[in-house]
Amino acid sequence: MTGATKEKFVIPIGPQHPALKEPAHFEFSVDGETVTSASVRFGYVHRGLEKGAESRNWAQAMYLLERICGICSHAHSTAYALGVEKLAKVPAPPRAQAIRQVLLELERIHSHMLWVGVAAHEAGFETLFMYSWRDRETVMDILESFTGNRVNYSANVLGGVKYDLGEAQAGAIRQGLDYLEERLHYYMKIVTSDESFLRRTRGVGTMTAAQAEELGAIGPTARASGVARDLRVDAPYLLYEQFPVTIVLGTTGDLQTRFVVRIQELFESVRMIRNLIAHLPEGELTARFPRRIPEGETISRIEAPRGGLFYFIKSDGGENPARVKVRTPSLRNFMSVLVGSVGHQLADVPMILSGIDPCFSCNDRMTVVRRGRDGAISEGKDPLPRSRS
Amino acid sequence: MTETLLAQAVGLIGDKAASQSAPEPNRIDLVVEPGRLLECVEPLARARWGYLSAITGLDHGAESGRLEVLYHFCNRAAVVTLRVTLPREKPVVPSVCALIPSATLFEREVMEMFGVVCDGTPDPRRLFLPDDWPDGVYPLRKDFVPPAAAAAPASDAQKGPQP
Repeated sequence: MTGATKEKFVIPIGPQHPALKEPAHFEFSVDGETVTSASVRFGYVHRGLEKGAESRNWAQAMYLLERICGICSHAHSTAYALGVEKLAKVPAPPRAQAIRQVLLELERIHSHMLWVGVAAHEAGFETLFMYSWRDRETVMDILESFTGNRVNYSANVLGGVKYDLGEAQAGAIRQGLDYLEERLHYYMKIVTSDESFLRRTRGVGTMTAAQAEELGAIGPTARASGVARDLRVDAPYLLYEQFPVTIVLGTTGDLQTRFVVRIQELFESVRMIRNLIAHLPEGELTARFPRRIPEGETISRIEAPRGGLFYFIKSDGGENPARVKVRTPSLRNFMSVLVGSVGHQLADVPMILSGIDPCFSCNDRMTVVRRGRDGAISEGKDPLPRSRS
Repeated sequence: MTETLLAQAVGLIGDKAASQSAPEPNRIDLVVEPGRLLECVEPLARARWGYLSAITGLDHGAESGRLEVLYHFCNRAAVVTLRVTLPREKPVVPSVCALIPSATLFEREVMEMFGVVCDGTPDPRRLFLPDDWPDGVYPLRKDFVPPAAAAAPASDAQKGPQP
């Protein structure tokens, strides 16, 4: 990419980089302090998961794909499970679908709260970072007591879920949500009124609705710019039709709006979870699921915390997937950083970057390959990704 | 709603596609000649019909000699997929970046993973693979077998990290 001026000065940032504790390499061309162009390299935490899925059976692949991301693991396994269930024409029973949806929304809460903390940290607001991460433990505890895990819950099986949501669990969830809701009001007050915070966020990293459309932005990043893209509303899956969310839209598309939008979405998630556990359908948790999946292709899309998650799944009739293509929301949204940072001060870049809530584990998934001592390519020995929790 | 959107997209592309099918109620697949890809993408991009959600590479195996590149456009629940079949030996497809600049990351991915050449793409560098990855080795092609996996029997993969 070429800079606007004759003398181009390129500032490499990363792989260890200033926002988020995950690796990616950026090159920002600057004119003085102003960014003139940006480019990116990923791959530092590649694990070969798409390739890996092809050599696992259908069920194993789900647990593998769940490990694409430590934050939205349930979104990945649910998107995959829904796709495979569509191919097999064996839908999960309603109760299982409701439980999946409860987990998805709990996951959204922990993901958005994590982001509020990280972004506050980037803005130099350590207190908010500490508060939001402390309060996030509430939802982590719920998830742990429900599934046994803080992340990578392994709650899905093909054709259903493993864990039932009993009355005791429902009570614990309600109690946790009451506390969280109270805290959310406090966060909302801070991000809309704290002067020093507003100075770091208002008018920073602004993306207009037209730009968001053009760049194909998705998730809260797009919604903060007023682009109504939310698969829970546009293409309801699970029980989102019976238990709908109201789409949350901003207008200005700056960082501050992204805070407001994400926090409002949390109120929506809280409301929906309460509603769901009050009206949990009765019935089985799993359906009998075949080992072999009929030949076919399907596209499965769900709204992960960061935006629409896209799965393309192909079966050639065997016990293993023939191809699983994953397009994570962060990859789609990265263009808004590369384009959106142009014209901004270099010092704003960490905030712009964290504004999309980027997830590098998500981007990096296809092939992690290490060079052995003899120079030959060898597959990474460590099959487990580092989780972000 | 979804039907209207799909009909709109098909109307925009018209007879530029070689054939069409509806694999699922919310999807239309259009088979497109590589030489006519840009003609098909252009009306979708110009009308702002949804957004390019992903580019999928598919390897049909060495025997078939075919690679396929799938351009998925999503608009609300509707998904329109342009399917371009390429010869495995010389898979060249025109870059769509002039029409959809944000496709650059997707094209970099499909280039390094499948060895597809997106002719005219603004940034042909690798996106995910390391710098010292050998040229001409495309990991998501079916005939690429990671050497470690090839050496060990399949069941060993589940035993966890080796000491």
